[in-house]
Amino acid sequence: MKKRKGGAAAFIAAVTALSLAACASSDTAETPAATETTASETTASETTAAAELTGTVRVLMEGVPDTDVVTALLPEFNKLYPGVTIEIETAAYDQMRDKYVASFQAPESTYDLAIIDNPWMDDFADAGFLSPLDDQIANTPDYNYEDIAAPLRAINEVNAVTYGVPFYNYVLGLIYRTDLLAEAGLPVPTNLDELVSTAQALNTPARAGIAMQPQRGYKIFEEWGNWLFSAGGSIYDENGVPTLDTPEAQKALEAYITAYNSAAPADSLNWGFDEALRSVSNNQSAMMISYNWMLPALNKQNDISGDLAGKFALAPMPGGKQVLGSWNWAIPANASNPDAAWAFISWITSPEIEKARVIAGGAPIRISPLSDSAVAEAGFGADYYAAVAEMLANSQPLSQGPNGEEMIQAVGTELNSAVAGTKSVADALAEAQKQAVNIQGL
Amino acid sequence: MAFRIKMIMPLVALFLVAIGYPLGYSFWLSLTNYRITKPGQTEFVGMAQYQALFDNAAYWEALIVTGTFMVIAVSLELVLGLAIALALRRQVRVRNMTRAFLLSPMFITPIAVGLMFRFLLNPQLGPLDLLLEKLNLSYDYFGPGNAIFTIALIDVWQWTPFMVLLLLAGLESLPRAPFEAAKVDGASPWLTLKSITLPMLSSVLVVAVLIRGLDAMRVFEYVFAITRGGPGTETQTIQYLIYQTGIQFFRLGQASAMAYMVLAIVLVFVIFLFRAINKEARR
Amino acid sequence: MKITQRLGRMASVALLVAAVLAVLGPFLWVILGSFKNERSINDPLAIFFTPTLDNWNAVINGGILQAAGRSLIVATISVSIALLVGGMGAYSIARYKAGGSTMRFGILSAQVLPPAVLVFPFLALAYTLRVNDTLVAVTAAHISLVLPVVTWFLIGFFEAVPKGIEEAAQVDGLGKFAAFRTVVLPQVAPGIGAAAVFGFTLSWNDLFYALILAPGNAQTLPVAIAGFNTFRGVQLGAMCAAILVSVVPVLIASYFIQRRLVRGISGGSLKY
Repeated sequence: MKKRKGGAAAFIAAVTALSLAACASSDTAETPAATETTASETTASETTAAAELTGTVRVLMEGVPDTDVVTALLPEFNKLYPGVTIEIETAAYDQMRDKYVASFQAPESTYDLAIIDNPWMDDFADAGFLSPLDDQIANTPDYNYEDIAAPLRAINEVNAVTYGVPFYNYVLGLIYRTDLLAEAGLPVPTNLDELVSTAQALNTPARAGIAMQPQRGYKIFEEWGNWLFSAGGSIYDENGVPTLDTPEAQKALEAYITAYNSAAPADSLNWGFDEALRSVSNNQSAMMISYNWMLPALNKQNDISGDLAGKFALAPMPGGKQVLGSWNWAIPANASNPDAAWAFISWITSPEIEKARVIAGGAPIRISPLSDSAVAEAGFGADYYAAVAEMLANSQPLSQGPNGEEMIQAVGTELNSAVAGTKSVADALAEAQKQAVNIQGL
Repeated sequence: MAFRIKMIMPLVALFLVAIGYPLGYSFWLSLTNYRITKPGQTEFVGMAQYQALFDNAAYWEALIVTGTFMVIAVSLELVLGLAIALALRRQVRVRNMTRAFLLSPMFITPIAVGLMFRFLLNPQLGPLDLLLEKLNLSYDYFGPGNAIFTIALIDVWQWTPFMVLLLLAGLESLPRAPFEAAKVDGASPWLTLKSITLPMLSSVLVVAVLIRGLDAMRVFEYVFAITRGGPGTETQTIQYLIYQTGIQFFRLGQASAMAYMVLAIVLVFVIFLFRAINKEARR
Repeated sequence: MKITQRLGRMASVALLVAAVLAVLGPFLWVILGSFKNERSINDPLAIFFTPTLDNWNAVINGGILQAAGRSLIVATISVSIALLVGGMGAYSIARYKAGGSTMRFGILSAQVLPPAVLVFPFLALAYTLRVNDTLVAVTAAHISLVLPVVTWFLIGFFEAVPKGIEEAAQVDGLGKFAAFRTVVLPQVAPGIGAAAVFGFTLSWNDLFYALILAPGNAQTLPVAIAGFNTFRGVQLGAMCAAILVSVVPVLIASYFIQRRLVRGISGGSLKY
């Protein structure tokens, strides 16, 4: 992990602290250390404000690599804000959701800072669980909010109000073995048909062409969404109405089923991320569609892929558009320490810290570090970041609007039935469309 | 106060507090349209949630899935449990060790059992399929049509020991005399089993089936760990559906109604069962 | 005759061997897995591999032992309260038919309702009393889980005790409660042991209540084990180690208890 240049960062942090002080004086003054300085530009008082901000910020995060990256950066944060303690608790996905929901209902929040998955964003915002962040964003100088990838910003906007700031993205792409592809003399697939034929070409008795994740519910929809985009389809149209029952969707689902039957590991109908990853890292599958930040993990020496390390590459989905997910920082409406929480959010997502985070392996949220050669050199190489930049630019989340999780589950059930062969493709898509429209109240 | 009332007061008190309160509160919830993500917008809707259940195909399907699972799992556990209990009775050497070891699956938390089997039965990562491959066989454990049976078998793995425990005790409590008489009369083991052991054991068998059946009805962890209700909705048990509805989709009012409906169905069933048994006993 | 007896004997032993293998198989996988690193755990038939203690380190330093300790505390308290209260109540129901069939149905109903529905009232109450994310909330929920089962069992045991015993003791000058305590209880002691083990298992294995009521600092063992099912994938090696940590102590205890256990259950009339 590279250290950021001290001087510039201190200035940014100091200015941030100043704007925090200004914020605090306009909000209900909960933080005792918020000084009532007016916009004087003396660095001394700004740094003092930062140094005087106190409080404990409790946040619940998932046990993923990006959390580790954040944890490693905490000492830097505390240099600027020695009085603020960040307490990170980790849990698995379902536990996280349940704990956050419980915390939001409580008279006093258990957490001062929250990580919200994008399907929950609309529902939580509508329920009044989250604080709007537009003011804080506007008042944080040199924050360069527009540098954050547009699709990620859109996820955090509910009814034109911003409730979150992206933490890390999980846009999906195609991870493949460069050596196997070269051996077969094939180029990286650029459209849906090529994806299927390449998978079939790479399929041998000892090694499947592509490890798929057709598990009912979230996983299959997350994976198939990419196939839908490759076929030229879309989950929603411009008006936010689901478009799951289109000729493109039909083509995408048929291709998916063909690939499952001819190039995926046998009996893998209930496979999720875990099985697919192990299959690929264990040389039992040649490709998989997965999160972009799995690539560094797969290529890491002496890690999960053993002597296959270095042989993997990441490509945008054939067809160019991919499914996007993101975890986002948000401040609960009933948090007791919103200012300290924002101090942390603005710091961790600031342009400078973002670079450090990305170099350390965090999944990017900003565009500019992705074309920064210093980042490429210190991180995982220009190719990887170029691919990620391309993927981020053209991506869409699985759900928009209310009842996101339920919609995903309903669609995922139908898709899985089609792959299992218990429903025809036409019936499954028709039912999925009907349910999606129904659930989202459109 | 009468002695019997004093003795039962703590139970009633604790029941009311620890069980009555949540029962009552969730019944109240089932009469509303409470959604966790719409706090403050809760309305009393009376029996509307229950009425809506009758049109909810997924609900009845889940009941059928759960019922199928229960029948398969519990009958297998009963048969296997009885066989093993009888075998253990005969066994003399290393009996205690064997017994202790055979009981162990009961003590692993079900989610761990689920995750364990998820990988044991994995076609690429699990030992079982690799051994099958050597015999040129392959089996899609969690494929369409198979998944619910596989889940039932996992339940059998974990809970047959419970049956063995109950049945062993039942067997050991039986009086010796009828068995000795049968031996003297030269009855075959099979005849002994059919006409002496099983009838005398009948009350134990009923209790065993009842306890295990009620427990099996609440199956959740295996589905959660492995199939998430799939393929399609083939393993979507009622507990999983209620969890999804109430906690994943935040519709707690509806989930409560679903749960109470299950309770009503089970109570009706139990009443009939008790009546039938009492009639039998009076005969 | 002799041949069928021989065959019967062989069938018995064969069945037991098969059963032991069926239980042993997965356990063997778990034991091996706890020593395997991420690479070799993907190779199921690898019996020879370089063992690693990383999983055990992660598990022991990761708080599994503390989680197990908490599970132990919660289970012990729940079962103790259930035995005390349930025992007295069961006696009253068995001897005096207190509460009639309503009482019995109530006890039965409590065993039917899914935790998914009962958990939110507990959660709401926990917040109001400010005991959320503590073992208090989990213990209360587990009492609601264990009390009905324990009571139901004990009713059967008390019904098996011959009626004359208390009356004889009372003739000797003992009060009703003293008679209960000194004469009846010893008779059902093995049954109490049996109910205790069943109740203990229920509490020890519960994931649902513990997951929602004590998710963070007051994690119990099943919650900790479920935590190995992460977004990064299931941490199989560590989970295997955690399973062993959770099973082996109970196994050893059950070896010593199960003899008394079986005697205990048979001592009660297993009535419904």
